[in-house]
Amino acid sequence: MNCLQAEEHFSAHYEDTLDYQTLQRFESHIDECQGCEREYSLFREAVQASQQLPQIEPSPSFTATLQQRLTEEELETLSLWQRLQNFFILPKWVYGFAIILVLASSASFLYYDDLFQGSSQSDVEGEFISTQGSDAPTQLPSEIDDRFLPRSFGSVGSAFTTSSRPMQRNYVLKRVSYTTTSTAGGL
Amino acid sequence: MPELDDELMQRFQKGDEDAFNLLVRRHQKPLINFIARFTGDKDNAEDLAQETFIRMFKAANRYKPGRAQFKTWMYFIAKNLCKNEIRNRGRRERYHVDNIVCNDNSIDGNDEDIDLIASAPADAAFQPEIALERKELRNTVQKAIAELPDQYRLPLVLRDIQGLSYDEIGNILELRSGTTKSRINRARLMLKDKLKSYMELI
Repeated sequence: MNCLQAEEHFSAHYEDTLDYQTLQRFESHIDECQGCEREYSLFREAVQASQQLPQIEPSPSFTATLQQRLTEEELETLSLWQRLQNFFILPKWVYGFAIILVLASSASFLYYDDLFQGSSQSDVEGEFISTQGSDAPTQLPSEIDDRFLPRSFGSVGSAFTTSSRPMQRNYVLKRVSYTTTSTAGGL
Repeated sequence: MPELDDELMQRFQKGDEDAFNLLVRRHQKPLINFIARFTGDKDNAEDLAQETFIRMFKAANRYKPGRAQFKTWMYFIAKNLCKNEIRNRGRRERYHVDNIVCNDNSIDGNDEDIDLIASAPADAAFQPEIALERKELRNTVQKAIAELPDQYRLPLVLRDIQGLSYDEIGNILELRSGTTKSRINRARLMLKDKLKSYMELI
């Protein structure tokens, strides 16, 4: 065992937790090495000195102050809960009005959703046919009507019904049917 | 036979607040000592100890008896609070070791002075030189401990001042057994080196 290895075992020897073999090697090194013997002696003194430091007594008011702080904490938590409860305490008619409002808005959304689903279905069924260079007159789809489109989506509705959008200028939506394809002359 | 900490915690979880008060009375002294030695500030030690107990009070329902010891849990919370406090103090002002020693004098210095005055006329065997030497040694040791880096001071305080086992320290510091042992040995070696010049004079 060298000096560095011996130093690693200072605590274990001090606490008497070294196994027999290591203990023999450690003690034989300490017996032979004066430097390690001195260092180990100082080590023991330092540890003992730290272990003998006096204990601090809590102040007499410690428990009372803690109790007060705990009560304050409890009250704070309670008042927060009460504040939350107070926030939700409203006249009954307010709750009724809120429920009606929610139901009405849900119903209107469902209604408009159905309308849009209907129009998109017709897009799938139909196809865009170029009328450029064709003699066929520009036809607007009769299935889509402004009256059925929601007011809030008026601009979108106009895109379907008129040819105001440049991209759609040369195209018309035509329902796929064997009778109309012959009129278009494209198919 | 006194009730175990776990039993008291179970009683508290069922709504018995006296059980918690009993736990506080049982652990307040070691907790304050730990915080004071680790942070080096007695005045703040009581505040932080109270904060620790408040946190335990609030989180009592989450405590699982048997999974972790009450003591380990307490020191774990206190350690984190102390680290935050040291970090905040470092931000507020540069922390000087001289301040720690000053505070440490306040820990037992006043009591010691009172003891010296009180025992001087009555005790025939009273030797003021020895008493002063002892006091000086304590201050030097406290200063040396305060100068250790946190990662070494913490296990040293838990082992040599609080007397916790290596397993308990490992749980509190979330360290493996081998690391805990080597860190404590390293901390003691550092302490020895700091005290060497003083001890060789004695």
